[in-house]
Amino acid sequence: MNQQLTLKEVQEPITTAPAEVRQIIERVLQAERDKLYMKNPKNINDDILKIVKEAVP
Amino acid sequence: MKLLSIRLCNFRQFYGKTPEIFLAHRERNTTIIHGNNGSGKTTILNAFTWVLYEKFSAAFASVDKLVNKRAIAEVAPGEPVECWVEIGFEHDSKKYKAKRLCRAYKGDTIGIEHSKSELYLQVAGDDGCWLLPQQHPDDIIGRILPASLHQYFFFDGERIEQIFRDDKKSEIAEATKDLLGLKVLDRSIEHLKNAKRTLEEELAAIGDTETRNLLREKENTEQRSEALSKRQSEIDKELENQNDLKREISGLLLKLGGAEELQQLRDRLEAEAVSIRSQLQQTKNVRNRVISTRGYTVFLLEITAGFRVIVNDLRSKGELPTGIKRTFVKELLERERCICGTELTNGSHPHALVQEWMERSGTPDVEETAIRMESQINEIDQQATEFWQEVDQQQEKINKDRIELSRIETQLDDIKKKLLTYPDENISNLQKRLDGIEERIRELILEKGANKQKIETLKTEIEAKAKQIAKYRMKEDKQAIAQRRITATQDAIERLTEVRTGLDQQFRLQLEKRVQEIFSQISFTPYIPNLSEKYELTLLDVVSGELAPVAASTGENQILSLSFIGGIIDRVREWSQKNALMGPDSSTLPVVMDSPFGSLDEIYRRQIAKTIPKLANQLVVLVTKTQWRGEVAQEMATHIGKEYVLSYNSPKPNCEVDVIELGSEFYPLVRQSSSEFEYTEIIEVRRDG
Repeated sequence: MNQQLTLKEVQEPITTAPAEVRQIIERVLQAERDKLYMKNPKNINDDILKIVKEAVP
Repeated sequence: MKLLSIRLCNFRQFYGKTPEIFLAHRERNTTIIHGNNGSGKTTILNAFTWVLYEKFSAAFASVDKLVNKRAIAEVAPGEPVECWVEIGFEHDSKKYKAKRLCRAYKGDTIGIEHSKSELYLQVAGDDGCWLLPQQHPDDIIGRILPASLHQYFFFDGERIEQIFRDDKKSEIAEATKDLLGLKVLDRSIEHLKNAKRTLEEELAAIGDTETRNLLREKENTEQRSEALSKRQSEIDKELENQNDLKREISGLLLKLGGAEELQQLRDRLEAEAVSIRSQLQQTKNVRNRVISTRGYTVFLLEITAGFRVIVNDLRSKGELPTGIKRTFVKELLERERCICGTELTNGSHPHALVQEWMERSGTPDVEETAIRMESQINEIDQQATEFWQEVDQQQEKINKDRIELSRIETQLDDIKKKLLTYPDENISNLQKRLDGIEERIRELILEKGANKQKIETLKTEIEAKAKQIAKYRMKEDKQAIAQRRITATQDAIERLTEVRTGLDQQFRLQLEKRVQEIFSQISFTPYIPNLSEKYELTLLDVVSGELAPVAASTGENQILSLSFIGGIIDRVREWSQKNALMGPDSSTLPVVMDSPFGSLDEIYRRQIAKTIPKLANQLVVLVTKTQWRGEVAQEMATHIGKEYVLSYNSPKPNCEVDVIELGSEFYPLVRQSSSEFEYTEIIEVRRDG
């Protein structure tokens, strides 16, 4: 119980973020997870720029 | 990743295809594989890492000789022998079959050549259909269990302490971060910073906007234009008044004796002047229309003259209408007789002469076109002449009207003079007033014209400004968006950094605590594992109230390493379930251990045997008969789901056979080979009850 609470606290900056920022964070994390196995993730900078531009149209 | 099965074919000791070795994964999550030294335990451990990562453990010698010797010996030179390992596993409700294959060729003279290995992966979803995935197999496996972490999950228990050697510490820190998702956060932060930089560059490229200034300027111009339009209507009104006044005074002049005739004459002349002016305007319009519609004809004269020169030249050379048609000449040649009666036999002199005409005679098409064009050219010349005539005519009319108008104006001036100097003061005064009014009307008309021009200029200016404003507005919108994006990115970076710091600290402390718990469960020493901020693992001891590093023995280091692996698996599993946002989905993690009890004492073996099945979701243990002693077998008994024996067939004459008793059965560990080759068979252990 204590641990769960702390983890929740740790994640608070994400859960309390404004909608568009939260969307950026979640999609960026997903994109990075998808390419985690690569030493130098291919096109990741473009992917992230795209995410930001789509989240803030 | 949940391992389901493994199958080998001609891989090292395993000749031909082995039966599929199913691995335990439910409540009884442990698979035990018994085997003596050299029977293939390390081979099985490396079969896993070879398929998934093409990697081998340190104890696995001669990595370039994977293919079973007997299989090679049995093929003809030049024929390939296939060697492969296939692993079945499950992840995220999908079933996978990964197969790595390499081929060996026996050369005629030189030894054995191996091909590069190839990895094949098939995936089956809920519907059970096996498909080839679209992504690269390595990438898919890397996503499920990163290659950098494989040594945590597939390891040689006897050398486990080497995973944590000093020179490997940074690797371990990196690999741990992988599993935790810290690396995902690090990369996210780094790449978001890059994105922010790009966005800032984009913002700078948009440039300054001056919308506010432009709007003010446009407003000023509009005000000026409005003021002028207002003035125009005032002028119109005043002109009307002045004209009324003029009419009134002219009317008065008519009534005054003596001036009557002059005024009548003036009215008539003025009416005439109006009519001539309008006529003049009409004539000018006609002239202008003539010039704009037919003016071009005069510029064609040079070209038409050029055309004539060309045509005449062609004619004089006889290349254009010669009067003789090619069809006519052709007929003569076909008839073989000229019109003069001469015979035209092929090859004769007269035939050759007539034949020459064939080249010179024209085709009807060219002739017709030339004639048609000539008549068109003549027409153009005619049009040019007519154009000049018409223009002259209109110009003459204009001149005539101008003379007439100037005559009328002189007459009107005379009348004015007469009236001004008229002996009757009333009359001359009225004329003076009339002059004043006319002067004013002229002024007003001039002002009106100038204003009209100004209004036109202002209108163009306003339109241009409006266009510029629209452009800048668009820029401004772009700027606002870029700014918002930068702010949002910065916010995301800050939040992720905060989460990263929190997670790192929290996870490290939790992991350290868990490692300490496991270590103290297994070890009887008072040492305390310590995990530095860089994830470096050391053993500390309390020396006179202070913590100091311990020069740990191999056994202690092995326990420490196992505790760390256990701690990581335990923590990562828990975090992965609660914290799906970060890190790979690692809720299920397997452990495959070769000789896990290395050089440990009985107490440690018992403790480890007790602890390990609880740490990993799934455990595969490869043990020798000596390692599988009472206390180990006892502690693991309740967790065993599957059990196999590697039965080594030795070609050595009179070799010492060995057996292992499992349940109530004896299983061969070493037996005499029926051929000249050594090979290993896999036998499943079936315990009753």
